Amino acid sequence: MEHENKSHEHHHGISLTDNDSENKDISEIQMWKKALIGSWIFAIPIAILMILDRLFSFNIFMILFENELIMPIVILLLAFPVVFIFGWQTIKSGTRGLMSFYFNMDSLITLGTIIAYITGFLSFFDIVQDYSGVSAMIMAIFITGKYIESKARGRATSEIMKLLELGAKKARILRGKEEIEILIEDLKINDILIIKPGEKIPTDGIVIKGESAVDESMVTGESMPIDKKKGSNVIGATINQDGILYVKATKVGSDTFLAHIIKLVEEAQGTKVPIQKLADKITSIFVPIILTLAFLTFLNWWFFSGDFSKALGIGISVLVIACPCALGLAVPIALTVGSGIGAKNGILIRKGEAIQTMKEIKFIVFDKTGTITKGKPEVTEIYSLVPEKYLLTIAASLEKLSEHPIATAIIKKASLERYKKITGFKILRGRGLEGNIGKTKIVIGNSLLMKERKVALIKIASKIEEFESKGKTTMIVAENGKAIGAIAVADAVKDDSIEAITMLNSQGYKTVMITGDNLLTAEAIAKQVGIREVIANVLPEEKAKKIEELQKQGMVAFIGDGINDAPALKQANVSIAMGSGSDIAIESGDLVLAKSSLMGVVQAINLSKATFSKIKQNLFWAFGYNVVAIPLAVAGVLHPIVAELAMALSSISVVMNANLLRRKRI
Amino acid sequence: MKKYSIGIEGMHCASCASNIERSLKKVPGINNVSISLIFKKGTVEAEDSVSEEQIKQAVAKTGYKISSIKK
Repeated sequence: MEHENKSHEHHHGISLTDNDSENKDISEIQMWKKALIGSWIFAIPIAILMILDRLFSFNIFMILFENELIMPIVILLLAFPVVFIFGWQTIKSGTRGLMSFYFNMDSLITLGTIIAYITGFLSFFDIVQDYSGVSAMIMAIFITGKYIESKARGRATSEIMKLLELGAKKARILRGKEEIEILIEDLKINDILIIKPGEKIPTDGIVIKGESAVDESMVTGESMPIDKKKGSNVIGATINQDGILYVKATKVGSDTFLAHIIKLVEEAQGTKVPIQKLADKITSIFVPIILTLAFLTFLNWWFFSGDFSKALGIGISVLVIACPCALGLAVPIALTVGSGIGAKNGILIRKGEAIQTMKEIKFIVFDKTGTITKGKPEVTEIYSLVPEKYLLTIAASLEKLSEHPIATAIIKKASLERYKKITGFKILRGRGLEGNIGKTKIVIGNSLLMKERKVALIKIASKIEEFESKGKTTMIVAENGKAIGAIAVADAVKDDSIEAITMLNSQGYKTVMITGDNLLTAEAIAKQVGIREVIANVLPEEKAKKIEELQKQGMVAFIGDGINDAPALKQANVSIAMGSGSDIAIESGDLVLAKSSLMGVVQAINLSKATFSKIKQNLFWAFGYNVVAIPLAVAGVLHPIVAELAMALSSISVVMNANLLRRKRI
Repeated sequence: MKKYSIGIEGMHCASCASNIERSLKKVPGINNVSISLIFKKGTVEAEDSVSEEQIKQAVAKTGYKISSIKK
């Protein structure tokens, strides 16, 4: 292979070498193509001569020159370039393997073809039958197989390669009043980008001027364009549709969303699916075993049949029929195609193991906030025993110190210009907040907290129940131990949550929702989306424990957004982390969704299952092929050329079968 | 503990990848190796005591060449 040995300067952490790994693929295909054409130019005449001679006993050289030595000489001459020029790459690598005792498949082909070629000389002395023509045929078929395989492999990796190529190369930025075009590597945070309609957004940023719709499908798999206006976040590598956008760059280089996705996909390629263990083990000892087997077969046939030529031919058949490639490629190629399709749809497979476990899953547990719901709660109702303004003021002043989404909702509702000074502030995780305003003690939180603090709820109890039965999270405000009001916060359900959960239910999964909300609120939401089982009143740190309990009854998949629920994601047998906006819960999920939609979960499950069944099919074929073909070769049933043909087909079929996965709709 | 990402030239078949894995794993201090035949790349997790040169040599021993290496 003629590769340039380039060394690369890296501006950023992502491995930009990937860009030339595509070139490598192309150059590999080109290399095999050249060898393919060259080898057949010489191999076809050999094939014609051999067929005429064997089948019709027609030897043109006998007729012309009346000399039976000319034909073998011509074949030796024709076979030479096929084996040693066009097959040089293989011979070189195979010999190196033989010398270093790191045997590879090329070693088998090298031995097979060279031994066969040498018989061409030996046949002049009547020592052995002439297999030199066979050596050329074996090499030509081998090269053809490699060409087809490398093409199919190129197709298998095309989605991932496209992803790697997705990033913008240039950016147009504003320098003073001037628009200049710079290379993406020179882009810095806070640069102002100008993106015209139809152009690619160069990097992650925030819109500071302009309005447009942006097609984010290439990164998140979300097919509908997303409206962007001042203050919206945009993702690098997505396409601006109809308006001019002025965007301030917030992330560059290896920090961008796309760079993270690429890193995930890359890392996933190194992970193994447990089912491949046996195949890997066999692959690693395959070649030495075949070498031994071929040698023993040869000795055995020679000894028992006394026919040296026949024994040699059978030995060569055993050498060339066996190919570790089908076995070695069976799992990784299917995983590659699967993760490529996933990446195209915003589903990132991080761990190969997860797709195997997926088929065992019985329970699908959803975190509520940010997973089933949008995670952007809003205050919808207020019940107050004091003036509402006062209630909101003290509530917002306290909530100001918290970062909880509910706090954000209350602060937004109150929209105060000045907040009260709080002393003795404390966050009571999963329950609420407390603090003092002057000498007044304020507690805000759920009924659990009120019970703990012995706050009587009698006056507002019916209101609380009303709010909760509507699926609203209710925050009770207490002043010096007395309840003074309740604020109802609702978090709207995502548009496709109902559809997704209906599909999962119909596929026989037990859907479960886990939440810190109380049972009444939780059940109202669960009913709305069709979830059958609810685990309510769960503190964030208890989520993992609840999952452990469920695991006693069956395998659990947990779906969360990575906020507050990392331990639960870790505890589950399969974890699916949902990205929200441009944040991505990279560290915590076996599968990661770039889009924040529950239909993505359904797709991820379907994709995992489809990929895994492809993996099983491939392993079945690869094992089956070797189990059937090797004994046939040992038994002497297969001519070396047929053996080589079967071998080439075995590895091609595995790659092509993996490619069939791309037809599957997920 | 360092993690290297390496590009490898000349791999043609599944046994090539497993040969490289085997050779790298023999180097003391290298804990985790995974080589992808499909992407002609791999990752190597090694103790700080392992040098880039050792990684290159382990790969070269099996008859393949490292085209790129970085942490």
